[in-house]
Amino acid sequence: MTTTSKQDPKRDSNPIHNFNYDHETVRTDAQSGDDVAVGVENFNLWYGDFQALHHVSLTFPKNQVTALIGASGCGKTTLLRSINRMNDLIPIVKIDGEISYEGVNIYDRNVDPVEVRRRIGMVFQKPNPFPKSIFDNVAYGPRLHGYDGDLKDLVERSLQKAALWDEVKDKIKQSGLGLSGGQQQRLCIARAMATEPDVILMDEPTSALDPMATDRIEELIHEIKKDYTVIIVTHNMQQAGRVSDRTAFMHLGVLIEEGPTDQIFTNPKHDMTERYVSGRFG
Amino acid sequence: MSTVSNPPGSAPRKTSLLGEQERARLQRRKRVGQAFAAITFIPVILAIALILTLFADVIFDTLSWQVVEPNNSGQTFAWSEAPLGGLAVMRLELSAQGLSDSDIEAIISDPAELTRFRARNRIELMWHTDDGSMRWVVTNSRDDRLDYYGFFEGFGQFDRLAADLGPDQNIYLNPWLDFSFLTRNNSRTPVVAGIKTAIAGSLWVVGLIILFALPLGVGAALYLEEYAPKNTFTRFIEVNIRNLAGVPSIVYGILGLYLFVRLLNFGPTILSAAVTLSLLILPVVIIAAREAIRAVPSSLREASYGLGATKWQTVSQVVLPNAVAGITTGIILSVARAIGETAPLLLIGAAAFIPFLPEGPLSRYTVMPIQIYSWIAENDVEFYNVASAGIIVLLTILLLLYGLAFFVRRRFERNW
Repeated sequence: MTTTSKQDPKRDSNPIHNFNYDHETVRTDAQSGDDVAVGVENFNLWYGDFQALHHVSLTFPKNQVTALIGASGCGKTTLLRSINRMNDLIPIVKIDGEISYEGVNIYDRNVDPVEVRRRIGMVFQKPNPFPKSIFDNVAYGPRLHGYDGDLKDLVERSLQKAALWDEVKDKIKQSGLGLSGGQQQRLCIARAMATEPDVILMDEPTSALDPMATDRIEELIHEIKKDYTVIIVTHNMQQAGRVSDRTAFMHLGVLIEEGPTDQIFTNPKHDMTERYVSGRFG
Repeated sequence: MSTVSNPPGSAPRKTSLLGEQERARLQRRKRVGQAFAAITFIPVILAIALILTLFADVIFDTLSWQVVEPNNSGQTFAWSEAPLGGLAVMRLELSAQGLSDSDIEAIISDPAELTRFRARNRIELMWHTDDGSMRWVVTNSRDDRLDYYGFFEGFGQFDRLAADLGPDQNIYLNPWLDFSFLTRNNSRTPVVAGIKTAIAGSLWVVGLIILFALPLGVGAALYLEEYAPKNTFTRFIEVNIRNLAGVPSIVYGILGLYLFVRLLNFGPTILSAAVTLSLLILPVVIIAAREAIRAVPSSLREASYGLGATKWQTVSQVVLPNAVAGITTGIILSVARAIGETAPLLLIGAAAFIPFLPEGPLSRYTVMPIQIYSWIAENDVEFYNVASAGIIVLLTILLLLYGLAFFVRRRFERNW
């Protein structure tokens, strides 16, 4: 992508095409260290020979919603999946740097990725309920970890937190695949919350949903942030503006700018951020 | 398609968008296409015709006309006299032979006598007898069987045959495939030969095959799909499993003869057959199971891992339950192949003549295709009919298995 075309001086001066991978992240405000849920420190990631993340450093404050935005292929999903070590499932991935959660480096040799995922839950782009009953879907996580409390009560509470209980309480034994797309996604959120994590990662959770279902999920994100730290990847800048407290803008694997959402959207400091949020590229 | 009718009095509307020449070219192009479509249909017709011919041939071969001079009573009994057959027909036959009621009860209550009677006589509901149609005939293995005609052959000259019958001689239309064929042991006399021992042998072998091949095949497939590192060695194994699926079955027979019959000293037993056939179908089972496992969408695996599941929890609770339909179908189809397998079993010592049921994995055995093969090889034209009846039984069992596989796939298959 580092084109050095001689014919087009305008193109050369455009930072989108003449990209500096050593770019230092522009930080709109100074983050204090004590309310941090997840901290990413100088994190690099390679798929084989291709470097997908370049020295990303970023902190995610507790009980806030942080949105990761950027064009396709900018590494925002890769960064998200690094936070609960889902990238470990891809054999060719190599990493360098540190991601800490509650002071523990989750990439330490002695840390079990299963423990990490137990504390940091995930909701995927496409609703992916198991082909089991609604109850069994929500109870799957707690059963894995040998939950010894009242499973029925936990399932009901999780479904209520996901604002799905009223719609499914009469068909809790029916297959989760029988629900509509938006209901399925809320079921997946309930499923993630049932393992009682502290952080919930959301990878474009509404990209497969219609506006009404999207609205419900966004309301839900507002609701749950008092209990959870939420990190959301989104393509939709309006959505980032609506749901998030903080926003981080990435491009080609580099974190360009991060800060409070209203700052990023109304008064971005970096030229490229300004172009992206105003819809002039991406 | 609906046609648009012109309003009355208007000029006929144009129906073509093209000029004369281009239109003719289009017609020619379409004709070529139709010709090719017709040619591709010919093999389908040919295949269906061949299958129907095969079935008709085998089915008519299970019928034959026989001129018999009975050794015993020579009487036939109306179907209404003993609607359920069995002991009732036996009583009628014994009393026709001139035995008293108390003698008959003595024979029937003595198991040894009963067994002897059943081994020598076959009770059949015959479609045609001299005394009328649909009557019970007790055919004795010691009856003198004077003449034999195939179904169509006897049909053509039935009047002459009926006129030429000597005193005490009967002509029967013999259906070789009846219920008693399934419940009789094999015999040197075609008329009382049955397929029971062969069915039992096949069931034993198939049962053990499932026991061996299911865990091994699914285990290997799970390892290759979920656990094995994706390196050259794994790819080498994968390629060779596909190659093994294409190795001729006789080669597996040679391997089984050397390894299991001789070296491990299992002898010509059910165990040897089951282990050899397990090896034979294992590659197919592994390939089918791998495909079923691979068809489980990775989004489900990710969902499970994302909730903090370990590898084994994901495999056992998400992957396997969703692959079970494909695995079952693969197993059923492989078992159907094993049931029809003949060549390796000839090598490792399936017996041609076994007049008793197998007692365990280490007893001698015969299986259906071997039994059919040995009947055809017999020097008695009537065994040809027995073999045809055996073929029908074998084909029916295979058809049921394929139907089961089809049902399982339809019922449990999921579209993601």
